[in-house]
Amino acid sequence: MDWLFFSEIGLAGIGTGGLYAVAGLAFVLIYKATRVVNMAMGELLMAGAYIFIGFSAGLALPVWISIPLTILATGLLGGVIERTIIRPMLGENAISIFMVTIGLGSVLVGLVEIFWGADPHRLVDFIPSDPIFIGEAYLSPKVGYGFAVAAVIIGLFLVVFRTWRGGVALRATAGDQAAAYSMGINVPKVFSLVWVIAAMIAAIGGILVGSIGGVSPSMGVYGLSVLVVVIIGGLDSLLGALIAGIFVGLIETYAGAYLGGEYKMLATFSLLVLILVVRPYGLFGTHEIERL
Amino acid sequence: MTISKIAKHVTGALLSVGLISGAAQASDKKDIVFGGSIPLTGVFAFAGVGIHAGITDAVKIINDEGGIEGHKLVYVPEDTAYKVDASVAAFNKITSQHDVNLYYGDSTAFSKTISPEINRLGKMVMTGASFASELDDPEKFPNIFIPGPSYTDMTGILLNHIAKEKPGAKVGLVHSETEFGRDPVEGAKATAKELGLDMNLIISTAPGGVDVSTEVLKIRRARPDYVIFHGYVLAPIPEFMTQARAMGLKTKFMGTFWSTDNSMVSKMGEVADGFLGVMPYNYYYSEQENAPMLDKIRSMRDTYQSNAYMQGFFSTMMMAEGTRNALKAGKELTGANIKAGLQEIKDFDTGGVIGVPVSVKGNSVPVGRVYRYDLSKKQMVPASDWILLD
Repeated sequence: MDWLFFSEIGLAGIGTGGLYAVAGLAFVLIYKATRVVNMAMGELLMAGAYIFIGFSAGLALPVWISIPLTILATGLLGGVIERTIIRPMLGENAISIFMVTIGLGSVLVGLVEIFWGADPHRLVDFIPSDPIFIGEAYLSPKVGYGFAVAAVIIGLFLVVFRTWRGGVALRATAGDQAAAYSMGINVPKVFSLVWVIAAMIAAIGGILVGSIGGVSPSMGVYGLSVLVVVIIGGLDSLLGALIAGIFVGLIETYAGAYLGGEYKMLATFSLLVLILVVRPYGLFGTHEIERL
Repeated sequence: MTISKIAKHVTGALLSVGLISGAAQASDKKDIVFGGSIPLTGVFAFAGVGIHAGITDAVKIINDEGGIEGHKLVYVPEDTAYKVDASVAAFNKITSQHDVNLYYGDSTAFSKTISPEINRLGKMVMTGASFASELDDPEKFPNIFIPGPSYTDMTGILLNHIAKEKPGAKVGLVHSETEFGRDPVEGAKATAKELGLDMNLIISTAPGGVDVSTEVLKIRRARPDYVIFHGYVLAPIPEFMTQARAMGLKTKFMGTFWSTDNSMVSKMGEVADGFLGVMPYNYYYSEQENAPMLDKIRSMRDTYQSNAYMQGFFSTMMMAEGTRNALKAGKELTGANIKAGLQEIKDFDTGGVIGVPVSVKGNSVPVGRVYRYDLSKKQMVPASDWILLD
């Protein structure tokens, strides 16, 4: 057994898992507050990456300006989507909203193809390229720095979510919308806020993922893996997204390293099936009890 | 009967004869329809747009020169978004509205799906974006034409180049876990063995995967002299090369047709310097004496045209040539006769689209050249002479 190789794979898995966790966080936020399963999350992430291309390559702005502008612009896009497409659908059948988000994904792909064309792109190199060694174990710099950013965002968010007034309003809305209304919380505003914040997180995810794997209109497929992560973690659990992200990242990389790339998806989806059979609400999701 | 009445009858008779003979002539020279399931949107749109432009230009040039033996060539495309069901729907729509003799398919899956129907109809030959090795079988796919070498032949051309440059070299093959990516694996293993090369590493990457550090770690352990990528366009090739260089590996990296487009390789950045790739055609900017077709392309379009454009252009040229051969032989335009016309093509001068005269062997044209990316010129430049496989 080559333990160095084993540990290097583990590091790569944790790094990949961190990226899953960031995108999963955006997914969970929207579901937790609005009960909308946003199937366009992968495409929102893709839109963030393309907006970054627009600022950094199109307008040739420095990266340190392009990143905050991208986050703001994608947040604005999230707000517009919520106000114009999602809000009018609230109260409708969950399947209808689910289908609307699938359509939204196609619209975002179409818009990206209109503005940037169908060619794949690479993002401007801004992450240091010197390899990271933890002891003797190699870690890809992009994955390493990506994980660090992901960890900071998730940590920050877990703190803010518990202490900030808006975070408390969000948790109250997630817990019971009617009660939140009666306590004077502006629930529609909370919905908008959640979409804006989720889109901002998706933008960060898009920049990180795009820096490693490149950007193309089909990048939204990444959202499928993220969906697996949040279902395993529990659709409404932030901590679940974090733990499941790392768990899925590790399973994928170990399967890829020891069995071959063709087993990555097989391993991930087998895990999904297993979790759904044993705990249909995910590892950390809320087990809703309906009293008749 | 008065003279004027006689004149009227004679004029009427002459007009009738004229109209009938004119109609007969018109029906002799009926349009030849080239239908196409073209991926103008979707994941393969980067190629589909170029293919469409290449076919459009080639059709215009052919018609400007009098068509195919006097028959006008009419191109009828439909967008498919690179989905097999949409490609089949496009095929059904086009073939129900037109009498189609030539067809362009957008994928291996579509080619395999529609091939029995093309055989059943018996009146057309299909070319397309797929260089799948499986399609290079005239027995199994009698009405298919591959406009270049198959993927197995492409890796064969690269392995031939390696065997000349470094006999006994260690070679790795990294492919995507898709039908496209898996295509040349077995053939490449066999060719490497024949050439005395050590194919010591085969890696498949999951579609949609982002991080490739696990795979790079495998390359670091196997330390191959060359790594051939197949089944990709851009990502994850740059990330592989960046990480390998960061680890100090001296491995040379190579790609097959769809990953050797000059604009794509340019996007890889500085790490692309020295990247090698196999290309069956000349590049848009290639300098070659006596290349009237390349000159025509450059006069029609003054900016760089992609590999996909050259592929669409060459496909159309060859399909037209096959049809021309059938017509010259006085044969009816059926799938079998057009295919026979294609297989008659020997030492055909493509006017510089390919740097050497080409011949059709089996269902394909097994010729190509290895190119190397020169960062200072920002261009893929020739790294070998043209290589013709048996």
